[in-house]
Amino acid sequence: MIYNFPIDWFFISILFFIGAYCMVVSKNIIKLLIGFEIISKSALIAVITAGLATNNINLAQNIIIVMILVEAVVIASGLALVVKYYRLNQSIDITKIINLKG
Amino acid sequence: MTLYLLIYFIIIMGAVVAVISKKLINSAIMLALLSIGVSILLFAYNAPWAAVFELSVCAGLITVLFVSAVSLVKHDEENIKENRVKYVLLPLLLIGFIISASIIVPEYFSKLQIFSTYNTQKEEPIGKLIWLYRGVDIIGQLTLLASSVFVIKHIFFKRKEADNGGKI
Amino acid sequence: MVTDFLSYSLIPLCSALAIPFISRKSRRITEILANVTLLSGLINVGYIILHYIIKMDYSSFTFDAFTLLMIFTIYLVGLAVVFFSTYYEVENDTNSNSYYSLILISVSAMCSLVMSRDFFTLYIFMEAISVCSFALITSSNSKNSIEASIKYFFLTFPASVLIIFGISILMLNYGSFDFDTIKFTNINFLTVIALSMIIIGFLIKSGIAPFHFWTPDVYQGSYSPISAYLAGIVTKIGGIYAIIKISQILYNSGATYKISALLLFTGMLSVLIGAFGAMVQKDFKRMLAYSSISQMGYIILATATFSPLGIFAAVFHLVNHATFKTVLFLNSACVEKNTGTTNMEELKGLEKKMPYTSWTSVIALLSTAGVPPLSGFWSKVLIIIALWQSGNKYYAVIALIASILTLAYFMIMQKKVFFGKLSEKLTEVKEAKFQLLIPVITISIIIILSGIFFNRVYFYLEKIIM
Repeated sequence: MIYNFPIDWFFISILFFIGAYCMVVSKNIIKLLIGFEIISKSALIAVITAGLATNNINLAQNIIIVMILVEAVVIASGLALVVKYYRLNQSIDITKIINLKG
Repeated sequence: MTLYLLIYFIIIMGAVVAVISKKLINSAIMLALLSIGVSILLFAYNAPWAAVFELSVCAGLITVLFVSAVSLVKHDEENIKENRVKYVLLPLLLIGFIISASIIVPEYFSKLQIFSTYNTQKEEPIGKLIWLYRGVDIIGQLTLLASSVFVIKHIFFKRKEADNGGKI
Repeated sequence: MVTDFLSYSLIPLCSALAIPFISRKSRRITEILANVTLLSGLINVGYIILHYIIKMDYSSFTFDAFTLLMIFTIYLVGLAVVFFSTYYEVENDTNSNSYYSLILISVSAMCSLVMSRDFFTLYIFMEAISVCSFALITSSNSKNSIEASIKYFFLTFPASVLIIFGISILMLNYGSFDFDTIKFTNINFLTVIALSMIIIGFLIKSGIAPFHFWTPDVYQGSYSPISAYLAGIVTKIGGIYAIIKISQILYNSGATYKISALLLFTGMLSVLIGAFGAMVQKDFKRMLAYSSISQMGYIILATATFSPLGIFAAVFHLVNHATFKTVLFLNSACVEKNTGTTNMEELKGLEKKMPYTSWTSVIALLSTAGVPPLSGFWSKVLIIIALWQSGNKYYAVIALIASILTLAYFMIMQKKVFFGKLSEKLTEVKEAKFQLLIPVITISIIIILSGIFFNRVYFYLEKIIM
């Protein structure tokens, strides 16, 4: 099997960069969630490469299965929160969240 | 090797288009493409179980969730004054990042690979691993699922006085 | 995972799942079930601990003392909050089903978290706790609470990605991520990177100084009993606990000075930012939030010494902080309910109208500031001694000065809110209901007793570091 650990981490860093950029620049809350999803994907690839490098792929698979569940739960509840916020404020702009301050 | 590069190309393209596309619905579909790419990658890396879960949950369920949420909040999509320049800038920045990363990252991680301890023992079958050795995770998953059910119920609960305004 | 205490996490989970089925119509049954579940657990675990503390005979003690103490704290704060919220708002709260279920699920998740013996289990239950708590923040259904919840979501969930990266590096390094594997194997450069990533992730979750942007907003905006729940136990078990655990794993291995420097710096920063931030706040709950940041900084400073005494002090300060911060936040909830505001400029002279609330606040704040013989005094003294002994003398001096600052800002708060002349608007205010005072007074008694009988508590805490 052809497998190249440094190349994997090269692509992981690129994916992480794209997700982080999305989370920094966008104003739309759903766009932020999409950025979070991209970052999570990069973490997922990181786990599988660690499993490959140590010849322990089943442990990595186990972790990934649980991680996917965690991701689904987090995204589902995050979207529920966004919809609720939209119903109350008629907006999904993150820069308008400024009511609370000291 | 070409196969892997192709898969990675799909993943990166999916991510970039998901970020820069104007319509949220396109972003959600591109996210599904990214998930499919990751799933093929997992399959190629000899992790079929994880690949199946990735395909069904991330490419299936999460995309459906995103699309339904987008259609629920669609009204506001045009009202947000996004600065498009930031998104157009992303491919340029990305090229810069790729060039600088290609100098540093592979070299650095090939050094790190020396540290990795190669597991010499025979690998446990996946079913045994999930149910016996990491049975704790099952309790964790149960807790998470239960919490997600109650979270959705709690957030979307309709009260008699639907909105009590600016109450702290 | 330590399976001895599994029932403490499974029973709340089962009763949380049972709540929607058995209490369709009546709200009262839900409340009774939630209270009884937590009360029976508290009596059970309290009996085990008190049995040894009173007898002072540890010859038959075979439990994991740290886990047991954490379970006791979780149940204590959980029961206080659940009991408080049953009487807090009687009308307009018809979604009690999911509210109490979520609290019970997060109690269950916290108990499972403190039993875990590897980093990935820690991660799963931490996520479960965060998901529960950001739904709980929205309980009051107001705009502010949704806003606080969104802030909590977006400023803390990126932390979980960092933790996963740390776990994958640990996997690369050891082939596993058990605490024992790391404890009994050599520590190299890669371990330090991985553990630093995990530590930063958990610091974000606990709202410590460089990552404290969400803490005051969330505590101010959320439903009042939930502020007490978050500040009292969730940020500690979901964040600080993992750092204490890492400190406990690493304390007899040599190469910890880099992690130690990171933790010392963040600890000092949050002690100072918390203390100075608390002085300038106008909102009662916001001030308590900054005070919480400051006290968490003390715990971080104590863990950063990587010495047995430091871990001892950190655990004791964690328990103390859980008790006195719960008292303060529950009192702020009483004040908010009876006067309708938490702005400190509008409140004055409440001592005459709300004497019990006022005096329990005084006990809690004196304990926070470290006045003998209350329990907070002993933990702060131990933290300063631990810092001095491990050679971080400047940090010890800063910790000492900041504890005087703590006394100062609490005196300012007490003078503004409770003492002085009663303002005219507040002449109609009454003391909080008797039931709302029960948890507060009970925890105040615990604070006083654990301070006076510190010699007995000491022998129990000694078991943690052995």
